[in-house]
Amino acid sequence: MDTIPPVNRHKPITGQSPGEARLLAMVAALASELAVARERLDTVERLAENAGLLSREGIENFSPTMGQAKERDSLRRRLIDRVFRPLRDDVRQKGE
Amino acid sequence: MPQDHRMLPAASHDEAAGQLFVRDLKVYLTEAIEPWFRDRAEALDPGPASNSRVETVYERLHEDEDFRAWAMLRRTSQDMLWAGVADSVERQAEALNARADEAPAIGSLTLDPDFVQPPYLAAGDVHLMPGGYAHDRGGVEQGAIMDRGGAVYMLGRNGGLMNDVRGHTLVSHLYTLYPDFRPGRVLELGCGVGASLIPVATAFPEAEIHGVDVGASMLRYALARARHLGATVHLAQDNAERTRFPDESFDLVFSCVLLHETSPDAIGRIMQESYRLLKPGGIVAHLEVPQRYDQMDLWGKIRGEIEADYNNEPNWKAAISADHAALLKTAGFRDISVGYQSATGNPVPGEGRFSDRSEGVFRCWFIASARK
Repeated sequence: MDTIPPVNRHKPITGQSPGEARLLAMVAALASELAVARERLDTVERLAENAGLLSREGIENFSPTMGQAKERDSLRRRLIDRVFRPLRDDVRQKGE
Repeated sequence: MPQDHRMLPAASHDEAAGQLFVRDLKVYLTEAIEPWFRDRAEALDPGPASNSRVETVYERLHEDEDFRAWAMLRRTSQDMLWAGVADSVERQAEALNARADEAPAIGSLTLDPDFVQPPYLAAGDVHLMPGGYAHDRGGVEQGAIMDRGGAVYMLGRNGGLMNDVRGHTLVSHLYTLYPDFRPGRVLELGCGVGASLIPVATAFPEAEIHGVDVGASMLRYALARARHLGATVHLAQDNAERTRFPDESFDLVFSCVLLHETSPDAIGRIMQESYRLLKPGGIVAHLEVPQRYDQMDLWGKIRGEIEADYNNEPNWKAAISADHAALLKTAGFRDISVGYQSATGNPVPGEGRFSDRSEGVFRCWFIASARK
């Protein structure tokens, strides 16, 4: 991700505080993550349903193995990185 | 006609979902929110007596917190588009570069390690694409980002993943106005990833096809893209205002949406360079967006200011205000035609339509063409 260079000439919206701009960018990123996750879930549910694999009870009672939990940790951390990327970018740019 | 090509970066399930989210967010911001600001702009209009209507309204809109939030989300949707596509390209960079290497060895690429991009491109990354057209890490990555991002940016309205309606429309224009024209050597100025160059190469299979642009990565990608599509193209890293080619090198010189990414002075210089490069009797054709500044309503002009400031389109207003006929005439051209060519993805001789009235954005493209 860090191979993407910062945008040359990223003009702030006149009159808008950097904090508000950042918050809006975070909300948009969060909405995107939710949309992606929801779409993936929809895919899984449809495939599982078609194959006769899915039952709601099975989902409620699911417990991940240690390896599975680790994979879920990295998914969650990737989500956090995506959602809070605007803050990270600001901090990084000020540090440069 | 192909719907995609082997160099196009694939999208994983989640990457595709992310790109669809950006597409739908853009549609939402345009269709559900933007009309309110059109109304507010009209309410703020000082009227024709004012000599700074656009500037006054644009400034006063910025006093409105809602407008600022909308403008920010609009720009954010663009940032997200590029970030999502760039992450996706990064994931498959090795495979994309390998696919470029295994393409059939047709055509050529001439890079210039000392090339300096023109100042108007160095001043800001057009469309907020991180790194701009000239960014280069040594592979095809920046071209892949531009190709996939361009298709998402157009919301599929410009020929889907091929993004090639403009090139087909230019061919249709040549069929319409110059039905007997069979160019031997062709040059596109600002060819980018070659999305418009391929349709022209396909329409004139006997022609020697050349393209120039500013970015090494973009051109590497463009060559691989063309090779996988079976098109022989010769690409060079060069400046459209003054290229490496000798006088009278080409029968056809064209560009597609190049002019509005340059500068007011560069537009005239590109017309002059087109003239220099053409053989006597050769044809120039520059395709542009179909909006004309003097025919736009207040909101259209405000939108131009928003694009200039927050999507790095600083030459938009100058390009759609320019008198293309006068510029071509000054450059020395004759038989000048300026108007609107109906958009098509399948140009057929005798079926194209060129008129002096715009059918609207994406339904037609503005073209200025002439003979040397």
